[in-house]
Amino acid sequence: MSAYLILIPILGALALLLLRPGQSRVWALAITIAVEALTLFMLSGFDPQGGLQFGVNLPWMAEAGFHFHLEVDGITMLLLLLTNLLTPLIVYAGFNKAMESESRYYGLILLMQGALNGAFLAWDGLLFYVFYELALIPIYFICAIWGGGDRVRVTLKFFIYTFIGSLFMLVAFLYVYLKTPAPHSFQWEDLVAVQLTASEAWWVALGFFLAFAVKMPVFPFHTWQPDTYTSAPTGGTMLLSAVMLKMGLYGVIRWMMPLAPESMHEWMPVFVGLAVTGVVYASIIAIKQTDIKRMIAYSSIAHVGLIAAGIFAWNKMGVQGGVLQMLNHGITVLGLFMAVDILERRLGSRSLYDMGGIAKSAPRFAALFMIVLLGSLAVPLTNGFVGEFLLLLGVWQYNPWVGAVAGLTIIFGAVYLLRAFGLSMFGPTTAQTEGFQDVRHAELAVLGVLAIWVLVLGFFPQLILGLTDSSVDRILSAVQF
Amino acid sequence: MKAILILFLTALVVLFTGLTGRRGALKGIALSGLLLALGVTLTDLLGGDAGNQDTLYANMFVFDSYALAFSAVVLLTLTLIVGLSGWSFRQLNETLGDHYGLMLFSACGALVMVSFTNLTMLFLGIEILSIPLYVLAGSRRRSMDSNEAALKYFLMGAFATGILLYGFTMVYGATGSFDVATIAEKVRLAGERKNMLHIGILMIIVGLSFKISAVPFHFWAPDVYTGSPTLVTAFMATVVKTAGFAAFYRLFAGAFGDAAGFWGIALSAIAALTMTLANTTAIFQQDFKRMMAYSSIAHAGYLLLGVLSIGSASGGGDQAILYYSLVYSLATVVAFAVYMVVSEQNQDNTFAAFRGLGHKQPALAALMVLSMLTLAGIPPTAGFFGKYMLFVSAFEQYTWLVVLAVINSAISIYYYFKVIVEMYFTQEENAYAANMPKGYQWALWAGVLLMAMLAVWPGVFSRLVG
Repeated sequence: MSAYLILIPILGALALLLLRPGQSRVWALAITIAVEALTLFMLSGFDPQGGLQFGVNLPWMAEAGFHFHLEVDGITMLLLLLTNLLTPLIVYAGFNKAMESESRYYGLILLMQGALNGAFLAWDGLLFYVFYELALIPIYFICAIWGGGDRVRVTLKFFIYTFIGSLFMLVAFLYVYLKTPAPHSFQWEDLVAVQLTASEAWWVALGFFLAFAVKMPVFPFHTWQPDTYTSAPTGGTMLLSAVMLKMGLYGVIRWMMPLAPESMHEWMPVFVGLAVTGVVYASIIAIKQTDIKRMIAYSSIAHVGLIAAGIFAWNKMGVQGGVLQMLNHGITVLGLFMAVDILERRLGSRSLYDMGGIAKSAPRFAALFMIVLLGSLAVPLTNGFVGEFLLLLGVWQYNPWVGAVAGLTIIFGAVYLLRAFGLSMFGPTTAQTEGFQDVRHAELAVLGVLAIWVLVLGFFPQLILGLTDSSVDRILSAVQF
Repeated sequence: MKAILILFLTALVVLFTGLTGRRGALKGIALSGLLLALGVTLTDLLGGDAGNQDTLYANMFVFDSYALAFSAVVLLTLTLIVGLSGWSFRQLNETLGDHYGLMLFSACGALVMVSFTNLTMLFLGIEILSIPLYVLAGSRRRSMDSNEAALKYFLMGAFATGILLYGFTMVYGATGSFDVATIAEKVRLAGERKNMLHIGILMIIVGLSFKISAVPFHFWAPDVYTGSPTLVTAFMATVVKTAGFAAFYRLFAGAFGDAAGFWGIALSAIAALTMTLANTTAIFQQDFKRMMAYSSIAHAGYLLLGVLSIGSASGGGDQAILYYSLVYSLATVVAFAVYMVVSEQNQDNTFAAFRGLGHKQPALAALMVLSMLTLAGIPPTAGFFGKYMLFVSAFEQYTWLVVLAVINSAISIYYYFKVIVEMYFTQEENAYAANMPKGYQWALWAGVLLMAMLAVWPGVFSRLVG
């Protein structure tokens, strides 16, 4: 069944790209909703305590030990939910505006969805690599064709940057693969069973880290991110921030830590240190931004930095919080970029100084924006709270001082997010915001659904924690150092 | 052997039909000859004759699975090239038969190069391959560039052949034989005339490096590729390279495998230089054909990884070279085919020839994207699996070289993507017009379908050579 999560979007994408039907956005929405339904159906049959489920194992290059091997555990299930619940919203968010060569745009989004599902499902190292890279092609085209500003240069930088990073991951995979007993194998269990010396593992971990650090991005590998997020079309930014960067975080949990635990005594301070540095650095830059889209791009670096720090700390609280927060960050950042898109389309500007007094004429919009924003701020009873709390606890357990520095993220977050909200929603109306139209139809639906999730997951975090709990335990006990 | 005979006869028929002036029949005859030869080769390959180890003509040839598989790649590539030739050769009249004839003769040489078991046959194969190409490179008689290309190619080629022959004589002096198996025996025993043998091997490396255009023996390639008619360039970049690498591997695995510790050093240095210099130079090219020339040099660098795997325990270099050269040939032929159309219709040799193709000819642009992604080796295209196989084959012994190759493939994205940028990211108003000539599609689609198939079942091929 899990193979259909890859197959349906990719076939749908090919159909849209080649046949170019009219009303392609409706087709795309129908396909993504079908995939969402399939994911929920899988969730209903999923046993959180039951280990690996829904396995598919077909030979691809069998002689070389390369298999089309998919498995689902709790962590994978969560990321499938993230991808397949959010993609229909991303597609639906595009209904607001007329789009040039629409079938191509939606085809690429579907291709992206298939590749992301593949990366999360892959139980074979090379298969993971293939899907990880495949996801890059559609997002490159989405950003470079439908983006604005200096899109061609920015997206090429993004592509080359991430591609170089992942090539180092390929080398790391090859190294471990050739250490497996002949005939070699890329299967997760076989790769994990390889014992490396500390110095070998040092290099392998570095290879993986370069790939994932660029993708997330972790300071100082983040330089592509603000430009790309700003120049990409809203759908592209949403895909990148809400779903795609989670591949990097997921890769750390699933592949990097298990394959090179021998070197983590040396690397862990570096990795956690960089992640926490990124949290503070990006937060400070976010405070200075006047372009609201750029501000959210930097805030995303900060929030993802905290997730990365928790995961690198590799204890129960950190990883569990990280996994939970991957979903939460996806929901809130999607909501924030949706709100930015609405503002930009109505006002023709993203500068905070052109905004003001919008809450008066658009109360529904202001309310929904507020809920999503509070989720991003990790206020109690919103989804972000439990995740960030666990993450900070995890980092704190690793080292109280580092934990304290990471905790600054909440204070900084309050500063820039509330400032942005205040400047845009309250105060006197400006020439542009006069007669600001409230959200309707697609906009209301997307923001509304996201706001509901923010609240539901804030009240019942156990829904998610229960799903991933035993998988996190299993991977932590399998990988010790 | 059957394929060589069929090709040779077809070439003769084409030559004489060309004299009678029956222009329309030529392409059909050439194509049917090629398809027949391809069919015969594939039947032998799949039908159990592949294990055939019988040598022919006093140990001159053996048509084992290796020879048959590489013959199939050469024939398939040439079939596509001839399939695309109708439009590109449309202005030729009395010389059309010569063109097809020369291509077919040249392919005979390629088949000899992949199936030799004796150094004299290798030499003959290289000459049969090269001499028609010198003529073809200069076939645009009124173009200065074409004349320059022919002269350069001829001089460089003759020079390389000389060095290669000198190497052969050294090896003969050291081992007393031209027979590959006998040489291997002598090399294994590592007899008294070791220095002479080593000098011979180095000269052979130099001579073959000229043919496969590896740095620092690559200087002829950009000028010759640019000056020759595009279809001939496609032929040089694919058929010649495939045959060259097949011969390279066959010779070094067959005869010099036990001296790998010695020549591995020289060859790894050549490989490192080749990919690095070619990729860094390709970035700065404006002319599409020059870029493709440097790209083909870079691919020679990656392919050398397969040859280097001869010395290592894991091996697999032959399968990697086979798969990679097929994938590379298909992608290159498709890329040149699309370029031929847009550059001639718009009188533009630079990347800008592709301007706006994504708007005007979405299908053609999509083919071009696929072939560029394949050349760049981006998953899940067949180019990626090819690079993967090459990397794995050399990884254990030459880890540093594989890391260098990885960095180089990242660099190569930049110039392959320049084409994609031109096709999609220009405004529709500025787009060039482009018409797909009649009878062009099937060869293009066949190439693309094969590329897609190779990506979905990369394992199919590795079973063929064993």
